[in-house]
Amino acid sequence: MPDDVILNKEHLKSFLRKIAKERELIAPVKNRHGDTLFEVVSSVDDVTFDLETRPVVSPKSFFLPPTETLFHYQRKEGKYLFKEVLPKLSRVFFGLRSCDLWAILFLDVVFQEDFKDLYYLNRRQDTILINVGCREPMKNCFCKSAKSGPFLTQGYDLQFTDLGDRFFVEIGRPRGRELVEKWDYFFRPATNKDRDEQYEIVLEAESKFERIVDFDTAISRFMNNEVDDALWEELGDRCQGCGGCAYVCPTCYCFDMVDRPISDSEGERVRIHDACTLAGFTRLAGGHNPRHERSRRVRRRFYHKLPFAQERYHRPSCVGCGRCVEICFGRVDMIHFIRMVCERPEKSSQASLRLGEILLDAGLLSAEGLKIALEKQAGTGKPLGTQLVEDGLITTEEIVSALGLQLGMPGTPETGGVIGR
Amino acid sequence: MHRVLTTCCFCACGCNLYLEVKNGKVVGVIPSRQHPIARGNLCLKGWNGFEFVHHKDRLKYPLIRKNGRLVEATWNEALELVAQRLSQIKERHGGQSLGVLSSGKCSNEENYLLMKFARAVLKTNNVDHCARLCHSPTVVGLGNAFGSGAMTNSISELARAKVILVTGSNTTEQHPQIARFIFDALARGSKLIVVDPRRIRLSKFAHIYLQPRLGTDVIWLNGMMKIILDEGLLDDAFIKMRTENFRAFSEHLRKFDLEQVEAVSGIAVEDLRRAARMYASVKRAMIIYSMGITQHICGTDNVQSIANMAMLTGHVEQECTGVGPLRGQNNVQGACDMGALPGTLPGYQSIADEGIRRKFEKTWKTDLPLAPGLTEIGMFHGTGDKKVRGMFIMGENPAMSHPDLRATRRALAALEFLAVSDIFLTETAQFADVVLPAASFAEKDGTFTSTERRIQRVRKAISPIGKSNPDWQIICELSARMNYPMHYESPAEIMEEIALLTPIYGGIYYDRLEHGWGLFWPCPNRDHPGTPFLHKGSFVRGKGRFDCISYRPPEETPDDQYPFYLTTGRIYAHWHTGSMSRRVTALSRERPEAFVEINPRDAKRLGVANRDTVRVTSRRGEITLKARLTDDVPEKTVFISFHFAEAPANILTHDRCDPGVGIPEFKVCAVRLEGVK
Repeated sequence: MPDDVILNKEHLKSFLRKIAKERELIAPVKNRHGDTLFEVVSSVDDVTFDLETRPVVSPKSFFLPPTETLFHYQRKEGKYLFKEVLPKLSRVFFGLRSCDLWAILFLDVVFQEDFKDLYYLNRRQDTILINVGCREPMKNCFCKSAKSGPFLTQGYDLQFTDLGDRFFVEIGRPRGRELVEKWDYFFRPATNKDRDEQYEIVLEAESKFERIVDFDTAISRFMNNEVDDALWEELGDRCQGCGGCAYVCPTCYCFDMVDRPISDSEGERVRIHDACTLAGFTRLAGGHNPRHERSRRVRRRFYHKLPFAQERYHRPSCVGCGRCVEICFGRVDMIHFIRMVCERPEKSSQASLRLGEILLDAGLLSAEGLKIALEKQAGTGKPLGTQLVEDGLITTEEIVSALGLQLGMPGTPETGGVIGR
Repeated sequence: MHRVLTTCCFCACGCNLYLEVKNGKVVGVIPSRQHPIARGNLCLKGWNGFEFVHHKDRLKYPLIRKNGRLVEATWNEALELVAQRLSQIKERHGGQSLGVLSSGKCSNEENYLLMKFARAVLKTNNVDHCARLCHSPTVVGLGNAFGSGAMTNSISELARAKVILVTGSNTTEQHPQIARFIFDALARGSKLIVVDPRRIRLSKFAHIYLQPRLGTDVIWLNGMMKIILDEGLLDDAFIKMRTENFRAFSEHLRKFDLEQVEAVSGIAVEDLRRAARMYASVKRAMIIYSMGITQHICGTDNVQSIANMAMLTGHVEQECTGVGPLRGQNNVQGACDMGALPGTLPGYQSIADEGIRRKFEKTWKTDLPLAPGLTEIGMFHGTGDKKVRGMFIMGENPAMSHPDLRATRRALAALEFLAVSDIFLTETAQFADVVLPAASFAEKDGTFTSTERRIQRVRKAISPIGKSNPDWQIICELSARMNYPMHYESPAEIMEEIALLTPIYGGIYYDRLEHGWGLFWPCPNRDHPGTPFLHKGSFVRGKGRFDCISYRPPEETPDDQYPFYLTTGRIYAHWHTGSMSRRVTALSRERPEAFVEINPRDAKRLGVANRDTVRVTSRRGEITLKARLTDDVPEKTVFISFHFAEAPANILTHDRCDPGVGIPEFKVCAVRLEGVK
């Protein structure tokens, strides 16, 4: 069997029907309310597969459910009896988006690098992953920038490309090959023409992204502590603490553990999804919270997703699926965050900008003059004041008087967040 | 695993979500992306709130009080006892000696049935629910001014408004998904005015933030309108064509002294002027308000002042304008619509109107009581022949939510008979003689009506927990035992009866609710598409009515003995009396304990540090709780949320009410603070 084959579209359901007999088939399905969700498909005839729309939540919940019972406990005659609830599942995912598949590979590393998490692995080990490369990125997609799409070069069991009347199927890992070999009569070998066509589609898809974000600059600025505190304050104010970003994120894996009594003598230990933007996430038993302010929690979130993951896993944990961008009304999402970090001047030039604003307000400087001076200053590295005086745009006395005026003004109101929340 | 689309059971945003069900248990939620309000996200409560459904404290069987203790009983025993005791009291003292509390948490169908049960079976108009405590001034105030006491426009219109004025609504915390539309508007360059005594989160995004003293809303609203009038920013044509009583109103405003504004409310006139200009000078401006406006002894005055302002500037009857009272509970709008109110039958049809009463008597095949009903607060205060001796309470927790809890609890304890149906043994249920285990939102079918008048389906995802039953079935069973059988095979059948009797719900049928995202009332018939914004082209009452409103100070203001203002409310992570949210891991972890917000400067004077224990005392009682220092509250003002049973804020509040509508003044009273070592 070659590494790439062709599946005519009319054979897709037949192929999936065969798989579904042997394994639990999970695919993006558009339901009667118009929402696209990953669903367990019991009959391929009764559902509408939706390979165009990003499902509302990521496939993460199939491996790390929002609520998962780890074991039951029972107290009998003064003793505790435990019963483990270990899942054992054979599954195949069809129609994953590349970003979501890549996210699963990321979770694979997290859940077995130090401690082998049997609950995760038992769900994951016998799962086959089939993605369909995205020909049309959705509005908030930025997998290209995150280097996890729109098509993958590795990691999949099978990768499908829609060629109109047929799918171009790339065979990746061995279990993908097994599937194709087992039902080889649905497939035919790909020709060079098919390959060319597929290559064209990949190129075209890559050119269609509206959202280009610069992970590298953001990570480097973050690591070098060049992100201004005001930015975190602003993000802290804008974060509403819903936890949604973590819940929909395909790679956020933090969880909480709780013992839930069922009656006075028995109960369950459960792990539940968690979100690092919540105050309870880091609050200590005595009530102290090292990340009391929301701005600190937001900072921690982006730190974990970007520099931390970069250092530990050599890539950010963001796969560019765009879900947080879609749902965060405060715009505390990856795209807006990276933009803010990249577009705002670095910390050192923040002071310059503030001075510039004061001088503008005092009417001592024109906007054009400030722009020229800022550009020049970027080259010379001199403080803005010095640059302005040297260029004869302003005198030292004028700067002093403007700053004096500024000092006389009432301060900006303290943000309640610092002490309050 | 399967998923069931339903409507969230917390606030009245009305988000639709999928409950994920595995082995008969709800194990997760997924927000609907297509739903116009949910838009793929939920708030913290929505994402995690389902957990209470399976909490071990859920009531799983009926309870009967025997020798002072509540013990397990069969449904038959419990229902027989309720029927027998209620009948007894009714025979001896008449229907008016019975009281019924319906619930903003239950479905429309359940509220309708309980209202019908009160009137047709118990023969009393003493039926009310928590809207009394939140938006009764809205129902009356906007009713007086416009002819309909609900949100005039729909939520999504906010995103396209040019100016949004938010007052007395901590929108990001209490209606987070509505705040989302305000943020959308801001992103489009719209202007935001926030007027709130507390520096709420939204104020950080406001172009103008005004911080009035508690209970001075009429002053700044009148001031703002006077400025609009003086500067000629009013909409003459609109006023002439669409409103009445403007002449008297403008005379009233002319006499208003702007000097008062700063002296009484603390808002500088120049700041108010900027706000007035901002609000009045655009075409599409919306006002959003909530409890901060209504929970005052002058709540109706506040609401009517807001209505006056909207009419003065012509900001009604159009898209992206109007007045938006944000309702609190998931179905408090519906509970009002269903006539769970002492004075009105479903659809705000007056019980005093003989024709209307006949219509219901004919359909229900019984005669209806004439005596005017008592309000929720009134039922706890009656004496003589106004005394309520027996009560049936469905899904409400007055032992936590009412003002002056000591008095409320005394009244509960003094009842000859109390039956409570609820999902947990609430503080109120602990007073009951019979407790009936109810099914939660996940275990039943029905409809909720959201704050924007959107009627949506609630769908059963799992079987009722233990032996619990949906409230609509409980009411039917009870009614049958009181010689008035109610036979409904499903809530859909109940809705058919509602549609028949309620013009604004005339076109609401379950099959129509299966597709799309609900229907907005008024929806008079099957072919009607529903009404996203009210008063299009003309007010429901004909012409909008200006009323002359004068300022009345709060009932209780600080003095030497009680030098602090206390204001109460909710917080993001919790829900009302805490019976649900405090049983959810993520929510109770977020805010595990009661706290009082104190301004750091006051705290310094009191010698209180962050997290110190503080005793708060009012003329009614005292509670102790942790201090939380924050600039969000101004000096000499403290804030306490009413979620925590171990330190109930309502021990402190007083029960004097807005005389017209009976809403207590939860937002203002006077307290004293001291550190507890």
